[in-house]
Amino acid sequence: MTDETPPEPFDEAEYRRRQRSRANLMGWILGGLAFLFFFITIARMMGPK
Amino acid sequence: MLRSTQINGSKFDMTQSLTNGEMRLPADWRDLFALTKPRVMSLVVFTALCGLLAAPGHVHPVLGFSSILAIALGAGASGALNQWYEAGLDAKMKRTAGRPLPAGRLDPQTALHFGVGLAAFSVFLMLFAANWQAAALLTVSILFYVLVYTIWLKPRTPQNIVIGGAAGAFPPLIGWVAATGSVAPLPVLLFLLIFLWTPPHFWALALFVRSDYAAAGIPMMPVVAGEPSTRRQILFYALIMAVAAIAPWPLGYTGALYGWCAAALSAVFVALSVQVGLRRTGEGDRMQPEKRLFAFSVAYLFLLFGAVVADHWLIA
Repeated sequence: MTDETPPEPFDEAEYRRRQRSRANLMGWILGGLAFLFFFITIARMMGPK
Repeated sequence: MLRSTQINGSKFDMTQSLTNGEMRLPADWRDLFALTKPRVMSLVVFTALCGLLAAPGHVHPVLGFSSILAIALGAGASGALNQWYEAGLDAKMKRTAGRPLPAGRLDPQTALHFGVGLAAFSVFLMLFAANWQAAALLTVSILFYVLVYTIWLKPRTPQNIVIGGAAGAFPPLIGWVAATGSVAPLPVLLFLLIFLWTPPHFWALALFVRSDYAAAGIPMMPVVAGEPSTRRQILFYALIMAVAAIAPWPLGYTGALYGWCAAALSAVFVALSVQVGLRRTGEGDRMQPEKRLFAFSVAYLFLLFGAVVADHWLIA
């Protein structure tokens, strides 16, 4: 498909805001997963379900 | 759809990667979240949770939570891959034109990577937290939804919803298998219940957004077979669904609490389906009975699965 729409002005502030919000979110998700995998390991070590 | 923007006066394509020296806006996390179809996911999570809670034995809360999270992520991945494949069709329908891909807020490659990554992670999480049987079922359900329903059936046959409904019927079965490691008659009946619930639920919707499906060229039942045939089939499926919903009680897999709830709720479902099934519409009809049936069908599944768990706990 070709692009017929006029170019939008690049918003650097929006670019930085999105980068920062995604980086923050990724940090929380990875931290959460680290905790989750730790607790799963502990739960599995405690014996059969 | 390609998006363009401008840096220092030069136009560039936002879907291009950074490797060729151009820049693009990173996807907003809200658009990635919308890609997972959160409203559909709520029903998936609830039915999976009910399957897990209705299973015999005790599940460690952390493992139970992780299993449900894996199912939710698997459902989200299926939704993302579905939207990636159907972006072109979604752009033609009013109901879906505002989604991140057809609206141009997200590029297809990001959506594809997000969907595949989420799918792989959900299966790995299920394998780690539960067992290989549940992980295998989760894999089958994702592949069934994406390959069999989205790519193969949906654009080809008006029976897409009937056969594809199996994909949405997996969650309670996976929840049960995550808890026990094996399949039993009750979760199979719950699978059957959702399988038979799907046609009247989706065809009620398809009746009042028929023009949307026709515009996109999707062969939904009302578009291909016409309204009268679709209405008859809604009634037919509602009747056999009611039988499947009540069946666990006389078969001895649930108690009277579930049985009476299933009978009462199914009676309302069938009554609404009779209204839809026997009526004829004219120009400018507001499709109120169809909208009522669609709304009730969602509540029906929530209440029925809640009754399965309540019944199990009362017996326990």
